[in-house]
Amino acid sequence: MRHTIRVAATFAALLLAATSAQAQVTLRYGGTTPPLTMDPHSTNDFVTAGLIRNTYDSLVGHANDMSLEPGIATAWRSQAPDTWRFTIRQGVTFHDGTPMTAEDVAFSIMRQRESPLYRSLYGGIREARVVDATTVDVVSAAPDPILPRKMVRLFVMSKAWATKNGVEKVPDLGAQGTEAFSLRNANGTGAMRLASHEPGTRTVFEKNAGYWGRFEGNVERAIYTPVASAPTRVAAILSRELDLISDVPLQDIERIKGTNGYHVVQAPQQLIMLLEMDGTRDVALDAWDKAGQPLKTNPLKDVRVRRAFAHAVDANLIVDRVMRGQAKVVGTAAAPGLGGYQPDLDVRWPTDVARARALLAEAGYPDGFAIQLNCPLERYVNTDEICRATASLLARIGVEVRVKGSPWPEFARMLVNGPNSSFHLIGAAGNSGDSQDTFISIMATRGKEPGWGATNWAMWSNAEFDTVAKELTQTFDEARRTELYRRALTIGKDQVHAVYLHQPLLTWGMRTAVTMPPRADAAIILKDVVIRP
Amino acid sequence: MIPFLVNRAAHAVLVLVAVSLLAFVLGDVVGDPVASILGMDATDADRAALRVRLHLDQPFVVRYGHFVVRILSGDLGTSYGAQRPVIDLLAERIPATVELALVALALSLGVGIPLGVWAAARRGDRLVGALMTLSVLGVSLPTFLTGIVLILVFSIGLGWLPSFGRGEVVRIGGWTTGFLTESGLRSLVMPAVSLAIGQIALVARLSRAEMLGVLRTDYIRFARARGLPDPVVNFSHALRNTLIPIITVSGIQLGYLVAFAVVVEQVFQWPGMGLLFLQALAQTDLPLISAFLLVAAFFFVAINLVVDLLYAVADPRLRIKTLAGAR
Repeated sequence: MRHTIRVAATFAALLLAATSAQAQVTLRYGGTTPPLTMDPHSTNDFVTAGLIRNTYDSLVGHANDMSLEPGIATAWRSQAPDTWRFTIRQGVTFHDGTPMTAEDVAFSIMRQRESPLYRSLYGGIREARVVDATTVDVVSAAPDPILPRKMVRLFVMSKAWATKNGVEKVPDLGAQGTEAFSLRNANGTGAMRLASHEPGTRTVFEKNAGYWGRFEGNVERAIYTPVASAPTRVAAILSRELDLISDVPLQDIERIKGTNGYHVVQAPQQLIMLLEMDGTRDVALDAWDKAGQPLKTNPLKDVRVRRAFAHAVDANLIVDRVMRGQAKVVGTAAAPGLGGYQPDLDVRWPTDVARARALLAEAGYPDGFAIQLNCPLERYVNTDEICRATASLLARIGVEVRVKGSPWPEFARMLVNGPNSSFHLIGAAGNSGDSQDTFISIMATRGKEPGWGATNWAMWSNAEFDTVAKELTQTFDEARRTELYRRALTIGKDQVHAVYLHQPLLTWGMRTAVTMPPRADAAIILKDVVIRP
Repeated sequence: MIPFLVNRAAHAVLVLVAVSLLAFVLGDVVGDPVASILGMDATDADRAALRVRLHLDQPFVVRYGHFVVRILSGDLGTSYGAQRPVIDLLAERIPATVELALVALALSLGVGIPLGVWAAARRGDRLVGALMTLSVLGVSLPTFLTGIVLILVFSIGLGWLPSFGRGEVVRIGGWTTGFLTESGLRSLVMPAVSLAIGQIALVARLSRAEMLGVLRTDYIRFARARGLPDPVVNFSHALRNTLIPIITVSGIQLGYLVAFAVVVEQVFQWPGMGLLFLQALAQTDLPLISAFLLVAAFFFVAINLVVDLLYAVADPRLRIKTLAGAR
């Protein structure tokens, strides 16, 4: 009898275990690339950051619509021009069960600040000071009105855990020797804990029942698999091996939409594609006259030529044909979702070939000229086609464009170790999601002040713009800031800082039973994903 | 035998030195690792510091010297992208590639040789002609295309086989194997078949041509005259004499299968060395790129060495000749 009871009990226990394993709501999802690391401070790769955001919380929360919301900090205010005061949430625990304190916050700020990858974002921070158990002051070398926005990318890590495992400093990039503990292990406060991580193969998250925030969705377990080849990725959801994929190729969007049991979700990416033109050199690189002789001038320095290009390159046509409608034409250097965006200014130059020809003639190039367009072949969507479309659009005004495509590493080297390009296609993304970053790093005169124009690869330069941008970095008053954003965007458009093209759409494909909030930073927030049975 | 081996080993070393040089030059051509690691918006000071730490500021010859010394001491360096020792990364990935290549090789020999023998024996048969024509298609179809077609049919259409990955693997010591689980075996089918298709066709055509030559010789006619049954003549008398070229080619094929599984691995997201190599290229991960090329070269060289030794096993005349030469 007793024996029977024991057998029955074991059986019941087994059954219970089986059903609870089955009842666990699991999301199997796939993206293009594997996470490079689990250390939130040692990468700025957006795929990796998007995964890590589930495990580590940021100091300031980043809502799905890209606005700021309370995160680890419940409130923040400007204490002095160079000091921001953050109020730290109480009752938050790390995945290892230890409580999160103001010490951990200060530690994380200083740790991430030391990463060379985050120099442009946090290099200005001088000190993170613990005032009391619930307060941390962040002191910058100079006033920084957008510091809270920058803090959406600051991830909080346990100081004790980091110290215990010998990773209190960010692992050296390209260092020799052994592997740092934090590359494959994590201890954050996020909604999901890292259950296992096989680099390059699969990363598994499990729900953190002790999470301080709310779960909008019902996912209890999530398995991320990188699937590099786009057709395979699409096949993997159509064969139901995955529930959700990111980066659906443009040509497969309609197919997935048209298949019973699947749907597609989109969001405009925090990225603007643009054609940058040399604004500094007196003699343009790789430019020729119609006879094939190298030009002794730089036509692109003349604002009339720049305007001619803006009127000739029809961004609407590129979006319709090359991007198959999966992008939004932009008219200024800001785009929806970026701080400082001004919807009423977002009107693109009209396409007007006659006017473009007239401007070109006025500038002294009635017959046009020839120029090389440097084109990155990866990293952004359909770049090769965009460049070739640009060439045919500019041919209409007599400018012969010779497209030179390079793989991304080669393209990056040309810009970083130069910049050695007078005309190129590139994507611009404000680092913190605020246009101020775009203004300072991409549009301000290169090297005029420390950190200015660091990614201003075409060396555009405009004194009035610089003055406006400088004032913006020191202005806290919202009304005045709006005025300055408007002024800066207007100058950029009027002087044709670059030929603005479009903002690509991010596309996710998934089973109809799955819903997720699309985010412009491409992250999939697992706690907000819903899977209906 | 020993001078023969020494000679071969010297060749192998020469090849490896050449490849290491090429790998190094390639690393200089494909991009700037500092730009890849730090991204576009790092400061010049950080860039310069990293350049110094990676010894990229030193002249080519010095860097190459360091590289060789390090390799000789058994250190393949640390990957820039993964920030882990290259040797660990490769050790994780090699089992997947090797298992895939071995299965593909077994498939290509196991199907290709009987097919070739049969085609030679039944010369003039319509079906054989059709099959041989088909095999030309097999040789010329690009692997990624066969891969995608297989996925379309067997994953999306029929839902029989997984479209990506390696399934569940079992860890035995430092090795992971997919042979012991159902999902592992199922995952292996399509990648192995798409990798093998071209090889099957090649082996079949080769063994057919060789067989045709051998079947015309006197000893085969005598064997037939003795009344031996056809299968015995074909497989035991004739096939043995066609093995030398087949061994040579399949040896080289194995090298190819290991080194150039890249495409198949990309299509099926097979977590092997090829996939790792593609990621390394995209990130200008110099240590990983050069290590992969070296390991691939090492595979080729080692396999060729083994093939040379197998000759001796398959053909006694070679054994005697080398022995005579050694004396």
